[in-house]
Amino acid sequence: MTDDAVRDLMMSPGDVLAGLPDHVPSELACEFDIWAEISAAGIGAHQRAAQFHQQLPPIFYVPRLGYLPGAWVPQKAEDLRRILQDTDTFSSQNTMPFAQMLGEHWRLIPLEMDPPEHTKYRALINTLLSPKKVAAIDDSISQHASNLINALVANKRCNFNQAFADQFPTLIFLRLMGWPESEAPRFVKWTHTLVKSQDMQEVVGAVVQIKSYLQQKIEQSRINPVDDFTGYLLASEIDGRPLTDDELLGFCFLVFIGGLDTVASSLGFHFMHLALHPEQQADLRANPDKIPLAVEELLRAYSIVNMRRIVTRDVEVGGVRMKAGDVVLISTELGNLDPDAFARPAEVDFEREDITKPHMAFSYGPHRCVGSHLARRELRIALQLWLEKVPMFRLADDCQPIMRASGVFGMDNLVFEWE
Amino acid sequence: MKIVINRTACAGHARCHALAAEMFVLDDDGYIATDSFSVPPGSEQLARRAARACPERALEVLEADSGHERENNG
Ligand code: HEM
Ligand code: SF4
Repeated sequence: MTDDAVRDLMMSPGDVLAGLPDHVPSELACEFDIWAEISAAGIGAHQRAAQFHQQLPPIFYVPRLGYLPGAWVPQKAEDLRRILQDTDTFSSQNTMPFAQMLGEHWRLIPLEMDPPEHTKYRALINTLLSPKKVAAIDDSISQHASNLINALVANKRCNFNQAFADQFPTLIFLRLMGWPESEAPRFVKWTHTLVKSQDMQEVVGAVVQIKSYLQQKIEQSRINPVDDFTGYLLASEIDGRPLTDDELLGFCFLVFIGGLDTVASSLGFHFMHLALHPEQQADLRANPDKIPLAVEELLRAYSIVNMRRIVTRDVEVGGVRMKAGDVVLISTELGNLDPDAFARPAEVDFEREDITKPHMAFSYGPHRCVGSHLARRELRIALQLWLEKVPMFRLADDCQPIMRASGVFGMDNLVFEWE
Repeated sequence: MKIVINRTACAGHARCHALAAEMFVLDDDGYIATDSFSVPPGSEQLARRAARACPERALEVLEADSGHERENNG
C-alpha cells in the first residue's frame, strides 16, 4: 500500500464528518475504519470487535472501509437476521467490486443475485455441495489432511498458514474442480491477494489472472468435455438455454473466492486459539467427540466474513433511517459477538449452554453458504487429525502473527512449536 | 408433538439434520424434505433442540396433547 493510501486511511474526526452523507446523523458516525481498527488489534482482533458492542451504537455508519466506500454497520444479530432474510429491501446485486475493477459487467453467481433469479442459479450449485455429496468425499479430505500433517510433524515447528491452512482447502478444491494438484501454489497466492489485499492495483492484477485462468479452463472443457465442475456447468441449463460465458465465469470465480481462503482463514483462527489455550486444546485431545461442537463455537467466536447489501428503498431498521442506494455491511463477527445473542460472547467456551444455538458465520437467508457442509467437514477433520498426530502445540516465542480484516478476515504468519 | 415446517424459509443449513438425522430428512439438495411430521414418543427433547438449532427459524414445535396429535395425524 502506498504512503498516501495509508495516510488516507487515517482520517481525523473532522474529515469523517465532512464525508458523511446528509441523512446520516453525526452521532451515528464511527470515527475510525473498523477494518483497520480490528487489524491493529492483532491476535486480539475478535476481542476488539466484541468491544464495539459497548462503544458504538447498535447501528453505526463507517465513512469508509479499506478501499470501499462508507456503509451502515448493524451489530445486532436480530437486525442482521432481518436484513439477510429481506432480499427485496437489501439487495446483493453489485456488492462485489471485481468485475467493476476491470470495467466489466459479469456478476458473481449466485452471490450477486436476488431471489427469484437467485433461486434458479443456486439450485445448480446446491446439488454439487449437498451434505450427501460432501459425505462421499470424506476419505479424500482425511487423506489430504493426513499427508500434510505427516510431512510436517517431525519438524516440531511449522508456519501453520503455509504448511497446512493454505494447502489443505486448496487441494480439496482442486480435487472438487477436477484440476491438477500442481496448481496449488498459484491458487494460494491468487486467493490471498484477492480477498486480503488492501491495495486496489494488486487486487486488479489478481482478478485479471484468475479470470484468464478460469476462461481457459472453461474453453478446454468445452472442446474436450470432462466430468468435472466446468463440465457440469457447461452441460447445465437455465430457462432452457445453456449458461452464457459471463455466467460460467461468474460461477467459477465465486467458488474460487468462496471455497479457498475462507477455510484457510478459519483454520488459522481456530488453531491459533488452541495454541493460546492449552487447557482447551488438552480438553479436545482427551474428548475428541467434543470436536464437532467445538468447531461450531470457534466458527461463532472467530467469524471471518464481511459481506455487503445495497438498500433498494428507504427503510427504517432499529430506529435508523437508511436510504435507497446506501450500503450495509454484514459483519458476521459482530452478529456473533452480540451479547443479546450469546452470553459472554467474547469467551470461547466448549461447554456453553447456548452452544447449539444458531450462529451466523455462514450467513442467513437464501445466500446461506452453499459450501458450509464441506467447510464444516474440512474444519472438523483437520482438527481431529491434527490433535491425533501432533503433540500439544503452542505459538512460537518468535512468532509475530499478522491480522488482516477485510471481506474475509485472516491471521497470517502463525508459527507453532511442539515437543 | 408435531413439527411443522415453513419450507420456503428453509435455507438448507442442515442443522436440524445434524442433530436428529432420522427425524429431519433432507432432499438431495440438502433442504428439508417434508412439511410436517409427528415426533416419535421419547424423542420430544431432541426434536425441540433440533428445531431451536434452525438458523432460519423454519421449524415450529406444536406441543399438542396426545388427543390433539391423533387428530392431526388423521
Ligand atoms: C469456513 C469456511 C466458510 C465460511 C466462513 C463461509 C462463509 C460464507 C458466507 C458468510 C456466505 C454468505 C454471503 C452472503 O450472504 O452474501 C457464503 C456464501 C457462499 N459460499 Fe461460503 N464460506 C465458507 C466456505 C465455503 C466453501 C468451502 C465453499 C465452496 C466450496 C463456499 C462457497 C460459497 C458460495 C458459492 C456462496 C454463495 C452462495 C449464494 O450466494 O447463494 N464457501 N459463504
Ligand atoms: S436447520 Fe432449518 S434451514 Fe436448515 S435444513 Fe433444517 S429446516 Fe432447513
